[in-house]
Amino acid sequence: MDRRTFLKGSAALGLAAPQVAMPALAQGAKVLRFVPQANLANFDPIWGTQYVVRNAGTLVWDMLYGVDDQLKPQRQMVESEEVSGDKLTWTFRLRPGLTWHDGEPVLSKDVVASLTRWMARDPIGIMIRGVQDELAATDDRTFRWRLKKPFPKLLYALGKTNAPMALIMPERIAKTDPFTQITEYVGSGPMKFVRNEWVPGARAVFEKFAGYKPREEPNSWLAGGKRILVDRVEWVIMPDAATASAALQNGEVDWWENPISDLVPLLRKNSNLNVDIADPLGNVGSFRMNHLYPPFDNPKIRQAVMAAMSQEDYMRAIVGDDDSLWKKLPGFFTPGTALYSEAGGENVGKGDIKLGQKLLKEAGYKGEPVICVVAQDQPITKAQGDITADLLKQMGFNVDFVATDWGTTGTRRASKAPPAQGGWNMFHTWHAGADTINPAGYPAVRANGDKAWFGWPNVPPVEAGIAEWFDAADPASEKAAIDKVNAAACEGVVYVPTGFFLGYQAWRKTVSGIVKGPIPFTWGVSKA
Amino acid sequence: MLGYIGRRILATIPVMAVVGLFVFSLLYFAPGDPAAIIAGDQASPEDIIRIRATLGLDRPFLVRFGEWSWQIIHGDLGTSIFTNLPVTTMIGQRVQPTVSLMLVTLVFAIAVAVPLGVVAAWKAGSLIDRLVMGVAVTGFSVPVFVVGYILAYVFALQLGWLPVQGYTPIEQGLWPWLSNLILPAVTLGLVYIALIARVTRATMLDVLSQDYVRTARAKGLSQGPVLFIHALKNAAVPIVTVIGIGIALLIGGAVVTETVFAIPGLGRLTVDAILRRDYPVIQGVVLLFSFVYVLVNLAIDLFYTVLDPRIRY
Amino acid sequence: MTATVAPFPDHALAGISPEGIAPKAPPPPGLAVAAPLPDVIPARKRRGRVWTYVRRNPTIVVGGLLLLIVFLMALLAPWLGTVDPTALAPAKRTRLPSAQYWFGTDMLGRDVYSRVVYGARVSLLVGFSVAFFASIAGLAVGLVSGMVRWLDGIVMRIVDGMMSIPPILLAIALMALTRGSIQNVIIAITIAEIPRVARLVRGVVLSLREQPYVEAAVTTGTRMPAIIWRHILPNTLAPMTVQATYICASAMITEAILSFIGAGVPPATPSWGNIMAEGRALWQVKFYIILFPAIFLSTTVLAVNLVGDGLRDALDPRMAKDV
Repeated sequence: MDRRTFLKGSAALGLAAPQVAMPALAQGAKVLRFVPQANLANFDPIWGTQYVVRNAGTLVWDMLYGVDDQLKPQRQMVESEEVSGDKLTWTFRLRPGLTWHDGEPVLSKDVVASLTRWMARDPIGIMIRGVQDELAATDDRTFRWRLKKPFPKLLYALGKTNAPMALIMPERIAKTDPFTQITEYVGSGPMKFVRNEWVPGARAVFEKFAGYKPREEPNSWLAGGKRILVDRVEWVIMPDAATASAALQNGEVDWWENPISDLVPLLRKNSNLNVDIADPLGNVGSFRMNHLYPPFDNPKIRQAVMAAMSQEDYMRAIVGDDDSLWKKLPGFFTPGTALYSEAGGENVGKGDIKLGQKLLKEAGYKGEPVICVVAQDQPITKAQGDITADLLKQMGFNVDFVATDWGTTGTRRASKAPPAQGGWNMFHTWHAGADTINPAGYPAVRANGDKAWFGWPNVPPVEAGIAEWFDAADPASEKAAIDKVNAAACEGVVYVPTGFFLGYQAWRKTVSGIVKGPIPFTWGVSKA
Repeated sequence: MLGYIGRRILATIPVMAVVGLFVFSLLYFAPGDPAAIIAGDQASPEDIIRIRATLGLDRPFLVRFGEWSWQIIHGDLGTSIFTNLPVTTMIGQRVQPTVSLMLVTLVFAIAVAVPLGVVAAWKAGSLIDRLVMGVAVTGFSVPVFVVGYILAYVFALQLGWLPVQGYTPIEQGLWPWLSNLILPAVTLGLVYIALIARVTRATMLDVLSQDYVRTARAKGLSQGPVLFIHALKNAAVPIVTVIGIGIALLIGGAVVTETVFAIPGLGRLTVDAILRRDYPVIQGVVLLFSFVYVLVNLAIDLFYTVLDPRIRY
Repeated sequence: MTATVAPFPDHALAGISPEGIAPKAPPPPGLAVAAPLPDVIPARKRRGRVWTYVRRNPTIVVGGLLLLIVFLMALLAPWLGTVDPTALAPAKRTRLPSAQYWFGTDMLGRDVYSRVVYGARVSLLVGFSVAFFASIAGLAVGLVSGMVRWLDGIVMRIVDGMMSIPPILLAIALMALTRGSIQNVIIAITIAEIPRVARLVRGVVLSLREQPYVEAAVTTGTRMPAIIWRHILPNTLAPMTVQATYICASAMITEAILSFIGAGVPPATPSWGNIMAEGRALWQVKFYIILFPAIFLSTTVLAVNLVGDGLRDALDPRMAKDV
């Protein structure tokens, strides 16, 4: 066999290899090309809580309720609901004519199965399950939920944007074990997932579902009519920000979920592009200390770090030179929302190194090593990690900087072992502002010791305040409870907030209908 | 002859076995726990232990190696931890872009480098020779991604002649397919061109000083046939060798090129899988690349006997 | 990895033309013939000798000079107008090159000039360490494999196996096993380069084993270590040295690629690779972050390649055809 034949043979082999099916696009079909924040590697929004999975999930599956841009839950799949006088029995009636992508009608037994699976994974769902007496379908379009204690936030829980969202799936899919991924992606949402064109890590394709009946009301976040104005939506995954930027400028993609802020001036200059804030609820940066082992088992040392850190440094490292993109955050709740509190936050992020050094000495730091785990492949954690390493060095800590990846960070932070034996003293992360509005769906602010989030803070006044919030009947008592939570969390340093920051999104001028929100909502978006 | 072919083919089996053992051990001893990643941000430690048991990650080495080898031999490369798709499916989806890129790069590099090397050898010592060799050495020295960014900026963004990124399957037209591959192929091919040109020049110089070349010239043959028919054929063995070895270079460079030009190929798949510790995918892809490399070198070894009847091992 | 070939040396062709070397015709009778040259010719001046060497071997001289400059830069880093390369100043991030920041600042406000100068240390360290350790380890493996026949088969299968895995993938995979650090990068790249050196040494050993003087030495009872030391090693030195320079160049580029992917030296210690990797997202707006390390890296790798070429020309021009 000579070289030419070999090459021809391999060419035939390679090009004839089983490949992704290509679409037979109708003439003039409108395709929206979107660059998501991350790779869509799996597609089970109950099992996988990554933001990108949640965002994709909202296209394919629908919900009983959906919050609007005021975070008030509005009816979506539900036509009407009734609550008994003692607030213990809820009866829901589904809208008529709801169908799955395969044509079957949506029945209340599907809803019951979906909610059961969701409650196994969602923090609020677990609480609801704790007070649940019975959840059952009474007929094809009605189901009833009986509780042992009133749960005023039930509708909010059903309509919230934080993952995992209460998405409704067919019964056969919802019966999958909550800790195993689903394998079928059929829903009743406004778009169908085109499974055979999915290349994990490179592309995901959604097609308009002709049988979807949007509500009459105008759309507002997850509420109202989810009208899809294009024929196809293609998610193009691009790990290289420079490439994504070039592609957007060249018109090869239409909408970029999160351009890095340093590239925004370049995109703004381009007359074919629009650039605006992506989510007014923003993000909260954070680093967490391990309360179980020295030196951070000593609250005074934690407070020393919190006083010495400068939120401006962290925020500049993350968002760059644009001052309109960040704010100081002397607390743990999202600025601009009803429960935002600055109680007890005077010492947060003062940037006073001298004070920090003094407090450190007073606290009796004996030179124990600090194992600081930093994921290099996430720009936000990487930027924060660099600042922290510098901060700790200046304060006089004995720092062991472990540069690793997000995956390994995920493993290591779960370990309760002593730091020197595979554990850790400090790691970095961040939360979407939509997740830090209130203690519901905000495990990172809990301080119930062993059951808390990684770091395992144990600060009883925080827990007391949270319990008070859950029982609060009116906004005033909610705010009072949250002030208590905030002050106690600052005192005990549940974690150290590094600041509040916003991100941008960018899209071509040929695209219209893009709104700001915690999820890149595709309904209402059209392309010229 | 057949004995030689048979022996060569048999010799690849222990090589692949070594590769298999190495690949498996590599990942067995790796830290980083996919169970924790799968469990997600809000998971509890109990969730992670449960997921690890479900994935079978807590059994001993030999058991897992044995099982794994058995599966591989039956063509089952396992299932990806993160996407739950069979590894063969994931590889199958991404073969076409990578093969396309490699083919176009190979054709481009050989078509440019061999003539360049021949010309440089013919005009040895002259300005052209020094220029060609100078460019060749520079080709080695500049990192692949820098070349890629510059080419993308000039030809795609500024001039708008070619797209910045992406891949179009050949079914959608020859030019769309090719236009997506030109910039990546040039980027990837630069190092390859440098390599091939240098070896071509060196070998040609040696051949050109041989007696039979002088005889051909004395017979009155003009330069063209002398160079390309007589001389090149005899220079073929080292040139083909370097083409074969350079395939390893291509595979390595493809990783970077696919990232810069957002081509959904095997290189990107590998890097993503390694960073996420998706063991079955890593194992499958590295095995595949090694297997292809072994096959290519086997083909080249067998090709030698066509090129040069004197070679018998 | 870069190749291990070099162009054919210019001077070796001197005196050969397509027409061949025609024999000199005897002078016709009656023609005056010049007086023969005196037996003693005075030595040329020193300056002339050095200049002739430079003219004849431009590659090794240029390469060597460049390399020396980079080496000095790395050594004298603290005294070249640099500041602490790890000092953060987020308020002064991404400033363009100016009188104060000669190469500008990066995304965290660090001075790019200082990082590039100190980065030379890491890149050179990685390059030379990998070349050194891979050579030693490859030499050992190749010697064992060539001298001990029954081990040869096994060892070569293992070496072939390792060579079948594309080196960059191997290095990335090895880096994924551990956390990023200079030592781990050096180890990972070294492991990926050992097989080639081993093959090379084995080839030399095998060809030498059959030589008459080696057989004679064995027959007269010379012990193995002496044979290796006296006969085998000197012959491996030349190809190994040339190979080592190419490994050095290749290792520097591999370090840059590892950093690009995110599996290289962590940015607390600047290396040219990770300076470029950090700045790559901004290359359209702040290209200088990639530009300067790229220039330095390319120049250094070029210099090492030139030195390798020059060494090959000097030591054994026939190696130009081997890979």
